[in-house]
Amino acid sequence: MNELVIALGWAGLYGAMALAAIGSIIGCAIAGQAAIGAMVDTDSGYGRYIGISVMPSSQVIYGIVIMFTLQREVTVVAAPALFGIGLLAGLALLFSAVRQGQACASAIHASKTKPEIFGLSLAPAAIVEGFAVFAFVFALVLAGSIPS
Amino acid sequence: MPDSHRYAMLLASLPDHGPLFGAHQPPLSRLRLDERLGLLDEEDARCLRKLRALTEWAAQNRQGSDEEIARAAADQLPRLAHPFARELAAWRLEMRTLVCALRRRARGEEPPSGRYWGYGRWLAQLQRHWSEPAFRLERAFPWLPEAARQLARGDTLGLERLLLGAVWEHLGRVSEGHFFDFEAVIVYVLRWDLIDRWTRYDRDQALARFDALSTAALGAGPEWMREAAH
Repeated sequence: MNELVIALGWAGLYGAMALAAIGSIIGCAIAGQAAIGAMVDTDSGYGRYIGISVMPSSQVIYGIVIMFTLQREVTVVAAPALFGIGLLAGLALLFSAVRQGQACASAIHASKTKPEIFGLSLAPAAIVEGFAVFAFVFALVLAGSIPS
Repeated sequence: MPDSHRYAMLLASLPDHGPLFGAHQPPLSRLRLDERLGLLDEEDARCLRKLRALTEWAAQNRQGSDEEIARAAADQLPRLAHPFARELAAWRLEMRTLVCALRRRARGEEPPSGRYWGYGRWLAQLQRHWSEPAFRLERAFPWLPEAARQLARGDTLGLERLLLGAVWEHLGRVSEGHFFDFEAVIVYVLRWDLIDRWTRYDRDQALARFDALSTAALGAGPEWMREAAH
């Protein structure tokens, strides 16, 4: 039983980063494909399309920071907390990255047709980023109260 | 990658249509469109080809009878792999059946009999309410009463605008919630077909063809008609 609890602790520790990385991969791929498509159809503004398409990469950075913050000796006492915080923060980052990628793809598509709405079209992606930051910050806060 | 965004690149590479009746030409050429549609999966590309073959006028068998066309449609439609494409094709064929009924009635014909004079679920309703202005279908098809009026007035251009507009609006309704998926590709391509069709209508060419047809008809007619033409 203890071995299982320890294994779950390690899963939580690495899960925060791994799940966030999966989300960033999917999100950047979606937005990146939209950026490539927009570049095919337009003659300028390539830089900003690529700039928007990398927005979902921030989640993997949050995941890495959470992983390092959670990093400690994985004991039977600490493992459940590591599992809970790491896994749930990772899932929140995963979904936020995927959805942010979709929001970015829509922003690219819309701003290609109407360049004047470029800034406003990024608002949904920025709001999704805000929720990812919530998940990140409170994972750090809770990491400070994990029993050693 | 989530299925709902698998055509993000394809759709982002397609220019915006703009309004149907404001366009002077399609937003991109047929050649470019076909080139971009090369990004579709083989199965989706096949489904789209079949759907366009069912809905595009240019792909229809103009020599065939109504029954042959209706039978062919009933045969082809279940072969469309994608349910969205199937529903859309069925809607367009039903719409054509309604317009066909309006035209038949305007010519003074009796309600058609048989199973294959048209396509869809409204055949019995059309036969039952043949004498009603909109076959009692105005709730399901709000454009029907106006179409009947325009047909009665002989306003063919207005009727064509009305029908194309109805299809355009229907495509807009069914595309809600679809942004980067195959459904969005289908809607884009069908709207492109509508714009292509509308912008191909050429007034001068139509007048020249009308002149040629009337000259041919008068040439084949009795002597007094030929004299009247001169």
